[in-house]
Amino acid sequence: MSSRTPVLTDDDRFPLIPEERRQLLTDLREHPHAPIFNYGCGDRLTATGLEEVRRYESALAVEPRFWQPGKPPPWVEAFAERCLRTVPFYRGRGGDPGDLTSIPPCDRTDLERGPEAFVPDDQPLDDIMVYDTSGTVGPVVRVPSHPVAAAKYLPVLRSILKRRGVTLEGGPDRVAIALVCAQAYTLTYATLSAYLGGAAHVKINLNPRDWHDPDDRMRFLDGCDPEIVTGDPYAFAELAKLPLAIRPKALVSTAMALTDGLRSDLGHRFGCPVLDVYSLTEARMVAVREGDVHVVAAHDMYVEILDDDGAPLPAGERGEITLTCPRNPFQPLLRYRTGDFAALEARGEDMTLVGLEGRRPVALCDDAGRPVNTIDVTHVLRRFSLPVFRLSQARDGALTLEVPQDAEADPVALRAAILSVFGARQTLSIRPLDPAAGLTGKVQAYVSELDDISALPKSQTSPERR
Amino acid sequence: MTLASPDLHGLLRRLSDCPADFLLPPRVGGAGTVHVAAVVSDVLASMGGDRLSDLAAKTFSHPARQMPDGWLNVVLVACWLLGDPWFRGRTSLAPKASILLASHLQPLARLVKPDQFVADPDRREELARFCLARLDLCPLGEKEAAARDRLAAISSVERERVAREAAAAERRAREVRKAMAAKRAREAASVYGRE
Repeated sequence: MSSRTPVLTDDDRFPLIPEERRQLLTDLREHPHAPIFNYGCGDRLTATGLEEVRRYESALAVEPRFWQPGKPPPWVEAFAERCLRTVPFYRGRGGDPGDLTSIPPCDRTDLERGPEAFVPDDQPLDDIMVYDTSGTVGPVVRVPSHPVAAAKYLPVLRSILKRRGVTLEGGPDRVAIALVCAQAYTLTYATLSAYLGGAAHVKINLNPRDWHDPDDRMRFLDGCDPEIVTGDPYAFAELAKLPLAIRPKALVSTAMALTDGLRSDLGHRFGCPVLDVYSLTEARMVAVREGDVHVVAAHDMYVEILDDDGAPLPAGERGEITLTCPRNPFQPLLRYRTGDFAALEARGEDMTLVGLEGRRPVALCDDAGRPVNTIDVTHVLRRFSLPVFRLSQARDGALTLEVPQDAEADPVALRAAILSVFGARQTLSIRPLDPAAGLTGKVQAYVSELDDISALPKSQTSPERR
Repeated sequence: MTLASPDLHGLLRRLSDCPADFLLPPRVGGAGTVHVAAVVSDVLASMGGDRLSDLAAKTFSHPARQMPDGWLNVVLVACWLLGDPWFRGRTSLAPKASILLASHLQPLARLVKPDQFVADPDRREELARFCLARLDLCPLGEKEAAARDRLAAISSVERERVAREAAAAERRAREVRKAMAAKRAREAASVYGRE
């Protein structure tokens, strides 16, 4: 989502929530301490769509999430056959649906080059929506999706909370979820969920510039008293600094790996379980951390671990996490290499990712030593259409930006963009990226020699006000 | 595949020697000069098969309106090909030849002018291979898979199919890109967690 121009009415946004049941939405939008919301959106769920989400919820409760490593569950072959027959990208590359390993894996660069090639021939385009990846790991990718696919996030969220003894109740007249961000710019809104019985959901940015008064952040969040707070580690680190009285049932951290230190701090600070979820825009929720492993969170997610050459690795061996998942009808994933690494192991009735090394938050600082969210850097670099880039920060704070030699990007403009985030006094050198690195499509966009963000001083992370 | 196989090069030479009479206007209604049904009957008979019945003959003397222009001349050129001495007395091939001449040459006639099957070396090879494949025959000295691949490589019908599919794929891709760019698509549904 990147446009701020409203194009839908609330009737379009909430097909199942009539105007007389939207008072909560009005109250949130007109709350005296509300942030300066910059966007409007709804769940766009129709009756048929909601029914599909409910069916998914039922399946989630009973379908096994277990398979013998290397032996895909039965649904995979039928799904692969459909992909090879109807999805231009997969059809063009071929393979035998009965032998998944004969189908070449794909990756993020394939999605970047042509997301339209992943849309099945027979998929109606009426309800297509587009999300941009947040850019935590590199250039933004546009991901087509569907209201039902977006709403399926909620049953999975409910399911993983339930495993921790937490019930996401929803219901009218309450805020079920607050999605908290901490970055220079992001879309913010208040909305309602038909799946959650008309409960509200707010997406807010803790950046003081998004508020009439910085203290409104506390007043508004305390007023909302959300059941669950979701966000990324950057946002939670910022949230923990605020003198809030909220007592959510759980915090759910996504987008990047949550370090043990920050998880522990947050647990103490808010007095609730802190879930560390492995997720990505292309596949949404994949797995949730339980103990020292990440448990695969849904029955419609088949995971393989591949080596550098794309060959499957046996259980217990580390390699690249590769996903097969039909959840998004506009972008069915068939052997999608995530760029994240782990080993796969069966434990009890669960499949688990061991030693997951995914999107670890990269600690970057501006010229005044303040933390910088990588998403903000990606945001300012978007207009340059760089296929890949790498921004590294040395221990002394100096930045190096590497871009492809043939990139048509004005170095002066690039410098101005980076300094707009890091400050005018920031040291920055710009140089060509090693062509070999660019070809692999696996350039790590952000690298830092600074300490991990969980190493924030205790005084900053636990200003409790209970 | 039958055990016996005709020599492809001989057939190609025969096609290049096709008499101009086979490209004259076919007799349809009161116009035209060549009685196609009679030629077809003669060829089937030379193979040892039955001559056309009156009803079957009407396929060629009163062709359906949807038949492409030039189809009857393509039938005539194919008759010239099947008149090769190699086919004489091959009774078992006559029923397939009858179906080939009545029903299988329309796609080729839609894409290629009849005289091209005589004048153009590639089209000669295409017609010869096409007819052999429909008769379940393989050119002498060729394996079945190789013959199939070679026909696919030179096939006008196949090329047209690929082009049509490519155009359809590009049209669909344009539609998807347009839908993704549409304002309604840009206002997505709410998200509940960061990714």
